[in-house]
Amino acid sequence: MSLETKLAILLGLVAAAAIAGVVWRVRTGRAKSVKPKSGAADGPSVDLRELAAIKDGELVTAFGSATTFLQFSSEYCTQCRQTARLLSELEQADDSILHIEVDITNRLELAKKYAILQTPTTLVLDSRGRIRSRIGGAAKPNVIQEEIQKASFEI
Amino acid sequence: MSNRDLTAPNGIDPRGPRFGAAITSVLLLITVFLGLDSATEAAGFALLAVIDALFLVGATLGNSRHPYGWLFKKLVRPRLDAPKELEDPRPPQFAQTVGFLVASLGLVTSAFGFEYGVALFAGFAFVAAFLNAAFAYCLGCQIWLGLRRLGLIRG
Repeated sequence: MSLETKLAILLGLVAAAAIAGVVWRVRTGRAKSVKPKSGAADGPSVDLRELAAIKDGELVTAFGSATTFLQFSSEYCTQCRQTARLLSELEQADDSILHIEVDITNRLELAKKYAILQTPTTLVLDSRGRIRSRIGGAAKPNVIQEEIQKASFEI
Repeated sequence: MSNRDLTAPNGIDPRGPRFGAAITSVLLLITVFLGLDSATEAAGFALLAVIDALFLVGATLGNSRHPYGWLFKKLVRPRLDAPKELEDPRPPQFAQTVGFLVASLGLVTSAFGFEYGVALFAGFAFVAAFLNAAFAYCLGCQIWLGLRRLGLIRG
């Protein structure tokens, strides 16, 4: 194999990896809105009893009055902590926001139900627990702000 | 914080594994180059064997006891600001396991006569290491949940 061919292969490899990285950076942390299935009046919603989320040592029994961020995390997650920190800061600043974090490491039935392929995945819920949108990957602060804004228009 | 695993080991600086991945990706790129030519294939095999052994150290002892982790602590970290948050050491350790498996596949297929075994699998490992170093994308962590859902690994 000639030197030119080998260098071209190396260059192609680096370029492919760089493009994959840029595509991932652009796509991760974006909110995708969840629409009701055709014919259904309401979109999918979250059942708190089934979720059995624990927050500050207590079972979560109510949604946030405007927006609930339901964050699915796992043990093997590099970016769950930063998303949790972002969302809990917002929750502390605004009473109408609730942040719930559920570790799905040993709750694969939840991963299946909500079709979670990566952690963190954050579901944005309205006051009745209906899923408005989902955010795969580390949530970006501006995306979260937009979701909060959208909720304020709905009320 | 909600139901985060309180038994989780102490956090590590997330830039440590990325520093290691940067060194690994350069070594893997050299390995691909060597593996593409029958004249240098033996050298590529030897280099991949060294990288594979280092992956094994990371997979079994963890990043903090890895030579690159030691280098990071001694040479790099003192020159950086404190990290914004610490990271669970288990995801990068799992990623080292994935790296070990991929690099081993290169060695085994090459030993069994596949001409481009070293170059091909070093190429795969390069993409993963490069994405980690340049974009903080942890491929091993991303596929962990998928593998777990398929029942291929236990928690």
